[in-house]
Amino acid sequence: MADKETVIGVETRISGEIRGEEDLVVKGRVDGKIHLSHALTVEKGAIVQADVDVRNLVISGTLVGNIVASESVRLLATARVVGDLAAPRVIMDAGAAYRGRVDMGDIEAARAAVASRSAAQPVASSASSAKDRPAPPRVAPTPKIAAFAAKVAPRFVAPVASEKSAETAPAAPPAFPRVAGTAGSVAPAWAKKKIRRR
Amino acid sequence: MAKEKETKPMANTVIGSSIVIDGEISGEEPITILGTVKGKVAVAQGVVIEAGATVEADIEGQTVTVSGKVTGNVTAREKLELRPESKMVGNAKAPRIVVADGATFKGNVDMDV
Repeated sequence: MADKETVIGVETRISGEIRGEEDLVVKGRVDGKIHLSHALTVEKGAIVQADVDVRNLVISGTLVGNIVASESVRLLATARVVGDLAAPRVIMDAGAAYRGRVDMGDIEAARAAVASRSAAQPVASSASSAKDRPAPPRVAPTPKIAAFAAKVAPRFVAPVASEKSAETAPAAPPAFPRVAGTAGSVAPAWAKKKIRRR
Repeated sequence: MAKEKETKPMANTVIGSSIVIDGEISGEEPITILGTVKGKVAVAQGVVIEAGATVEADIEGQTVTVSGKVTGNVTAREKLELRPESKMVGNAKAPRIVVADGATFKGNVDMDV
């Protein structure tokens, strides 16, 4: 068995706090807190009800709690997640279910970090050209889609159009409103699906 | 299924050497601890506390094998084994108890006689 990996098996339950400096794979159940300087993997079928503070997080199972990841969070298709999420990189696969607030922090700084990490890779050129562009590195939504997305998931759209990009984005579509104060749950999964169908 | 129960069981749960758990571990499958656990460990199968591990907890399991350091009461339904380099402080309760030469132990022993 690998020495540098901790596994919480399918039929094991831990309630309390887990801390450590190695990778942790949860296949069973953890209630409490998880604080790691390495990666946490929540496997399919696992249930984690905990505040999580890790470097990288990959979720295929169920996680309820607030998430802070210093590097990245990836929600795979079978993931079911409820809680606020703070990480510079957030990846959600189609099919993932998530409810909560996403905070990617300072988008510029995060992108610089990503660019420096992928500098050796062929995407480097696109990353450096992205620097001149203040808007987030997403495909600019058409007014129609933006309006739809704002309607479906106002809180999800708002941060994208916020701060720097709002002041400096040259081609910010007019129909990209910050629907502040509109109560509504974040529903990126269905928002994505519907947009794709068009 | 190999019968190398001593140090490498087919543990489904492994608590690595740099991990610290403060709380309760329960489950239906074998567990190997190389790190630090404080609180309680109660599993239906074998518990192995490897050399280098520190457990400050009450332990309950089918078989309990200690090579590391345990502070707490240990209840094994089948067998408790204290291996040569182990250190244990606490009460031991098990129908069969093996204390190897070199093991350090302080506490009461209850073999249910």
